[in-house]
Amino acid sequence: MTTSVTTETLTNGRTYTHRTAAHCETGVTSALFFDKGFNLSEPMIFGIGSGIFFGHLPFIKWTGLPITTFRAMPGLVFKKTAKRLGAKVYRKRFHSPQKGMDELRRVIRTGQIAAVTTNVYWLSFFPRRYRFNFSGHNFIVLYENENGFRISDPALLEYITDCSAYDMERARFARGPMEARGLMYYPTYVNPNPDIRKACITGMMDTCNQMLKIPIPLFGIKGMRLVARKIIKWPEKLGYVEACRQLAHILRFQEEMGTGGAGFRYMFAAFLQEASELFGSKELNNLSNEMTAIGDTWREFAVVSSRIIKQRKSKREETFEKAGGLMLICAGREEQLFKDLRDAVEKLKS
Amino acid sequence: MKINEVPQDDVPDYSQGIKKGNYALDDQGKYVMVPSKGWVIDEQINKMAYDEYQDKVEETRKAVLAGQKSPLAYYMELRQMIPKFLGKTAGIATFRVKRHLRPEIFSKLNDSVLDKYAKALAITREDLKIVPQNSYER
Repeated sequence: MTTSVTTETLTNGRTYTHRTAAHCETGVTSALFFDKGFNLSEPMIFGIGSGIFFGHLPFIKWTGLPITTFRAMPGLVFKKTAKRLGAKVYRKRFHSPQKGMDELRRVIRTGQIAAVTTNVYWLSFFPRRYRFNFSGHNFIVLYENENGFRISDPALLEYITDCSAYDMERARFARGPMEARGLMYYPTYVNPNPDIRKACITGMMDTCNQMLKIPIPLFGIKGMRLVARKIIKWPEKLGYVEACRQLAHILRFQEEMGTGGAGFRYMFAAFLQEASELFGSKELNNLSNEMTAIGDTWREFAVVSSRIIKQRKSKREETFEKAGGLMLICAGREEQLFKDLRDAVEKLKS
Repeated sequence: MKINEVPQDDVPDYSQGIKKGNYALDDQGKYVMVPSKGWVIDEQINKMAYDEYQDKVEETRKAVLAGQKSPLAYYMELRQMIPKFLGKTAGIATFRVKRHLRPEIFSKLNDSVLDKYAKALAITREDLKIVPQNSYER
């Protein structure tokens, strides 16, 4: 599922292949595994690592507004995927930036590529308007060169680029909400013949539990409903302009950060499609189609919300209800989908 | 989403030629990755946030020139920080950072404290003492 391929020779003479991806963490994980000689597509990683999630975190503020996330915590997808595929990993955070940088240099000098989690604000190769104080972007460091580091960013760039050592240190050790603390990770050993079917089942079950069973109303389907109801009340509670600001904030998380809400739904649908081929299961294929339809509804939510925000001066208040309503529809359909998925997966086991 | 539904809007100022990957269905109903040039909705939302950020920086710059805030406040906004995280980056307690946002206290700071801030904000010590006369270019 690649669109463009660039290669680069690493310090120990091995070849690294850069493949573009839709989301940073899954793309990075896919690339790290591919580097170890194990080819798994990005959607498969996303499914096995249970990347799909919903969470509303009113107590963690980002640019002064609560975080509404459509993805799992940065770093979790890699961890879960590796565990489920029987790979051994190196995964470390650092207190001292110096130690963190030394360790990164030591590792890449051996020819091992390493992924790092960074804050986008300090990355000067990013477009100006992408650069916000957000610590959750992953990319791969290939080797050190005269400009600093040679890096491969599967989610953003179609080519391999340079990143200065200063940028790298600032980005890895930036302080802020959800700080990365220099997180770096790579697999040390990848099982060449893992039980992919079992990994898929575990991943799907975990996804269902994440979406349906967390007993806190901020996460999963419950979280979605909570946010939808909040959206409907916002114009009264906060005033129209502030309500628009909050809605725009949710949209930014949905569409801009990584691939966001709808994008993740499509990626999950792509995973279900691949899984249906793997298991020869028609049910999974039907669920994939339903997920695609849900993704389309999420996009519609984005379009409606953006219209509300655009016309915020002319005040057409009924549309906030429409936006919230669309989100409730998404929540309802996803609840049904994950319940069906759970039933389908239980049948796969036997 | 089908391949032809993947947005291909021209938003060069926002995307700067960068294409984002999207998963979309091809004619056979199979998922493939399709690079997207950009989407006006992404652009609109981003612009809103970016403008808000720029306005805040500009507002702070004027407040500094009017003598209501210290230049530290301007550079803090410019780097998208808040006192808590500026304090953590510079190794200075948050309550002190908040005090240093007042011009009369900032002007009495010694060089070692200024250096800590300068390092945290990636500017020189001399720059930290003044703000630009003209607005930050958009």
